[in-house]
Amino acid sequence: MSTFSEKINTFVKEIVTDTDTGTGTGAADRAEVEGVGTVPRDIYKSVKSDPLGDLPRYSIHIVIQHLITIITFVILAATGLPLHFSHVFWAPSVISLFGGPDSARMIHRAAACLMVLGGVYHLLTIILGTLIKTRTGKFDIKKTQIPRLKDLHDLMHDIKYFMGREPYRPKMEKFMYKQKLHYLAILWGNFVLITAGSMLLFPETASKILPAPSLFQNLARLMHADEAIMAVIIVVFWHWFNVHLAPGRFPLQWTFITGKITREHQIEEHFMEYLNNLKEIPEEREYMKNLLREKGLSSKGGGQ
Amino acid sequence: MPKIPLFYGLLILLLSLSVSFPAAAADKENCLMCHKYRQLGRIDEKGRKISYFVSENIYNKTVHRNVPCRDCHTYITKLPHDPVTEEVNCSNECHIKPPFSQENFSHKKIVEAYNKSVHGIKSDDPPDVKQAKPYCKYCHQNPLFMKVDEKYIAGKTLLRCLNCHEREGVTKAYTHITHRLGHKTSRSPQEVVQLCSKNCHENVEMMKKFKVSKNTLEAVETYNESIHGKAVALGSEEAADCLSCHATHLIHDVQKKDDPESTINPKNLIRTCKQCHTKVNKHFIQIDVHSNVEKNLLLHMINIGLTFALYGTFIGLVGLMLFETYGRKKDGIKWMLKKGTTWRGLSRRIPKD
Repeated sequence: MSTFSEKINTFVKEIVTDTDTGTGTGAADRAEVEGVGTVPRDIYKSVKSDPLGDLPRYSIHIVIQHLITIITFVILAATGLPLHFSHVFWAPSVISLFGGPDSARMIHRAAACLMVLGGVYHLLTIILGTLIKTRTGKFDIKKTQIPRLKDLHDLMHDIKYFMGREPYRPKMEKFMYKQKLHYLAILWGNFVLITAGSMLLFPETASKILPAPSLFQNLARLMHADEAIMAVIIVVFWHWFNVHLAPGRFPLQWTFITGKITREHQIEEHFMEYLNNLKEIPEEREYMKNLLREKGLSSKGGGQ
Repeated sequence: MPKIPLFYGLLILLLSLSVSFPAAAADKENCLMCHKYRQLGRIDEKGRKISYFVSENIYNKTVHRNVPCRDCHTYITKLPHDPVTEEVNCSNECHIKPPFSQENFSHKKIVEAYNKSVHGIKSDDPPDVKQAKPYCKYCHQNPLFMKVDEKYIAGKTLLRCLNCHEREGVTKAYTHITHRLGHKTSRSPQEVVQLCSKNCHENVEMMKKFKVSKNTLEAVETYNESIHGKAVALGSEEAADCLSCHATHLIHDVQKKDDPESTINPKNLIRTCKQCHTKVNKHFIQIDVHSNVEKNLLLHMINIGLTFALYGTFIGLVGLMLFETYGRKKDGIKWMLKKGTTWRGLSRRIPKD
């Protein structure tokens, strides 16, 4: 049993190191997996996939939290944005869906409370899950949302790939660089929106606690609106595109309901996570073994 | 007695029913004898047509329907009267006694408060300022402000009154009183904002005549940008309009900020804000109501920074989207559906040896 400081040291090492450790070899075009053989990096182009998902990705808690977020996000945006853009033509009709501004603000507050509760639920899931995994020794910092140096390299690698200068996608963990960036943006956005929103909801208390009430109230007004518009833009132009609209993902990924990811997607964008699944799920191992045999690739590799 | 055929008899009966009766109660002196004629009027020295026609149908529906003409037009002492040179004075007493009162009705108190207010004409005002200041009729006969929506608090309460009282009179009295109870004024917040802004406070050139402060000049703009203004613009009944903060329940006593009587004087702000913000404290009243971020350099810089971040994010994300789409299309992924999902075709990448 290692001491606490040693544990921290290994975490830091894992964050700053950038190697494909755990794949057997560091080769970019394949991976050796015990009991399967050599898995080519681009095998995803020939696997079978169920559009509803083949391999586990999110627990039921995460699916519920995501549903809470979708519902409250839409309500919050629909009740908040018309107020900010009150002089734009669509504002009166959108706000009238909620019975005018006087009831819309109550709905906005109720939805905000629910969203905050969803956030608390998420934090509890993460913290308790981490504690349990640490106890059982299953905790792996590479599977978390914590950014690592590797993510930066993956980003450069991916840009090169899409420009045609790299033959393969980078080998990424459960969360790739985009998702980590998005997660950080959500953390920051939630922090700003909740803080500024509470200041707008309780101006009397906020002005008592903070110095320069005028400055901070104006700041809260600016930040709340700006961060909300930013959130809507990121969801529409980043999240929806990457998850549902990009070629290969269109028309929809069902992960947000089923909690499962398609085999093709996981091998393509989360190769390291797929290797973990190969080790942990016997059926998947069997499937891959048969596929490789069918393709006449099994003889190439070593481990049978 | 000559025999009238039944048909003509019915015709006469119908015609006599369709004629509306003049406002007998208010017009005891029969002014309408002349003023009922539509063509009554003259062309003045400047060539403008002036009509002296009084429509009894319209007059009978106004709030002044029970007031005899000469209660306001007091300068008329003989018939036919001399050319009119005087304006009516709204602080006159008229021959109407309100219920439970021995005194004649008058708008005197309102006019007094109004004359003291920032809008009243002062003796030391220059002539063009005197000219530009609003007077009673400016607001109260403004087309923006004409019709009061006679909503009353609870129709069921009125039904209980009607158990004993006659319908006609008590319904009118009840609605007259209760439509003022919902808000500080009987007008909607939207009407109040419109009336104060349109042609007056919105008109910066005109407001400059009054040598008002910079804050006052941009008051309409900053109000419309505030949360109060935005909510009112969308139809809120609760958010503050101009009169909510700038007048007491006298409504006409709008004062300048430095006047000790003013509702927006820092000394009175707690009382003013408390009308809605019940937990108000001495720090809360420092918050800008008509806020303008450009006044504070720090806020101005933050605002510019946030705008850049917003556009930067937008352009960056759209750029990345297009870039990745390009890359994926090159990979042979079709943006079309096959068995419910997009599918892979032949890659157009050049394979690396």
